[in-house]
Amino acid sequence: MNFKLNPKLSQKIAYAVLFLSTILVIIPVLIIVFNIVKNGYSAISWEFLTTMPKDGMRAGGILPAILGTLSIVLCAIMITLPVGVCAAIYLNEYAKDNLLTRIIKLAIVNLAGVPSVVYGLFGLGIFVMLLGCGVSIIAGALTLSIMELPVIITTARGALNSVPYAFREASWSLGVSRWQTIRHIVLPNALPGIMTGAILSIARISGETAPILFTAAAFYVPHLPKSMFDQVMALPYHLYIISTQIPNMPKNIIFGTALVLLMLVLSMSLIAIVARIYFRKIRKW
Amino acid sequence: MVDKIKVNNLCCFYGGKEVISSLNINVVKNEILSIIGPSNSGKTSFLRTLNRMNDMNVNFSRKGNIFLDDENIFDMNPENLRKRVGMLFAMPIPLPMSIYDNISYAPKRLGIASNRNMDEVVEKSLRDSSLWDEVKDRLNSSAIKLSGGQQQRLCIARILAIEPEVILFDEPCSGLDPISTAKVEEAMLKLKEKYTIVLVTNNVKQASRVGTRTAFFLMGELVEIDNTAKLFVSPRDKRTGDYITGRFG
Ligand SMILES: Nc1ncnc2c1ncn2[C@@H]1O[C@H](COP(=O)(O)OP(=O)(O)OP(=O)(O)O)[C@@H](O)[C@H]1O
Ligand SMILES: [Mg+2]
Repeated sequence: MNFKLNPKLSQKIAYAVLFLSTILVIIPVLIIVFNIVKNGYSAISWEFLTTMPKDGMRAGGILPAILGTLSIVLCAIMITLPVGVCAAIYLNEYAKDNLLTRIIKLAIVNLAGVPSVVYGLFGLGIFVMLLGCGVSIIAGALTLSIMELPVIITTARGALNSVPYAFREASWSLGVSRWQTIRHIVLPNALPGIMTGAILSIARISGETAPILFTAAAFYVPHLPKSMFDQVMALPYHLYIISTQIPNMPKNIIFGTALVLLMLVLSMSLIAIVARIYFRKIRKW
Repeated sequence: MVDKIKVNNLCCFYGGKEVISSLNINVVKNEILSIIGPSNSGKTSFLRTLNRMNDMNVNFSRKGNIFLDDENIFDMNPENLRKRVGMLFAMPIPLPMSIYDNISYAPKRLGIASNRNMDEVVEKSLRDSSLWDEVKDRLNSSAIKLSGGQQQRLCIARILAIEPEVILFDEPCSGLDPISTAKVEEAMLKLKEKYTIVLVTNNVKQASRVGTRTAFFLMGELVEIDNTAKLFVSPRDKRTGDYITGRFG
């Protein structure tokens, strides 16, 4: 039998399949957000965000967890960003295509594929124990910064690559050195891309649990962090504890904590998206 | 007649493929040497070797020597060389900054002019490239917004600001209309008094208009070089004659 679909119909079917697949992507996002907001919004208050937990964490606020996460994450990005950008500049602007360069690039790709719990164990072994940082903000930040390094390097290289090669040639042809060209032409024009990448990285590592589990996070700390060598509470780990380890936990506090974490991550992504649109608009070439 | 540049047995290769073969040529001080020739005859490769822009290309290699005022350019620091031998590309490449900053960029980096007399440097460079009158009221606006011809003259001004000795032009008018072309040519003729110029052009008429001498390149070889008038009226080589009368290439 010679059965052939009429082209108009097949076009319609293809369109429907593609469209439904796309819808399928947003449905889980909507359900998750809706569920968390519905169950958690009643817990959110100024007090929830700015006070210590009370009553075995069954009441009160989550301030130490928020501050703990912020300090680990900001510390991590301050370590990983300069190192990552320097590495990206070296790889993009200086490195010759030789064996060493290829090994480095391979290492970066593989580093990105390591499961995060392995980073956690690595951090425990190296930073917490070998280097004697103890379970602390700095140990957690170092662990997260190593985990995020390949991402930062990759996005920074993308940003450097987006600066046209012709700009570099124009600068060199005027007798300006390679480093000055990087410093005054390449970096300023790549900076927006690098910064949006950094913000997205902050969002990503804010939600990471495994790498800080053994290196920074504590079950409960009765005071706010005072130094880099303090153990801290952290939002993702706190969320895990209150949802599984504490009996009779009020549901709205669990979901309220999840909502705060979600807001933190989403608002970072939003800032990155807005910044990207803005920089694309004012871009001069 | 003093030779500004002397090329001795230069051979250039991209990944082993020879694109310039044992080239011997000289550039006289304060002349405009036009180089004509069909596509792929090695004109751009020659210019990019003269100021060592090809150093950045890992596939590039060369044999032979080039002397600038009797100094071997391959023994020089490439950045110092490029300060003395400026280059204008076929496509104008304004840097993504203001007109003023485009011109002050290199002098600042190279420490040529102090901030105090930067205004003078900018004005003089723009006057010498015949652009001043068109942009003097908007020096702080973006250079990207200029027309193609204006951008190309801005790029000339940018080179003049570092006061090189030699300027290399690679088909500077290929994307320009006749009026813009005339303006760039006018700027070039003015520059001849102070600078030594090598002009690569696809436009045979342009070579005959501005060239002091003209060289004809073919397949990486120098076929013929002579005073422009002589080369155009009575070329020695038949291939030169065929090319300038448009019978091939
Ligand atoms: N970066 C490069 N890598 C490899 N080969 C190249 C490169 N640049 C030029 N070539 C080759 O060198 C030869 C000469 O090219 P070149 O650009 O010097 O010619 P040209 O005379 O400037 O031509 P046109 O008039 O089209 O600009 C060509 O065969 C070209 O393919
Ligand atoms: Mg060319």
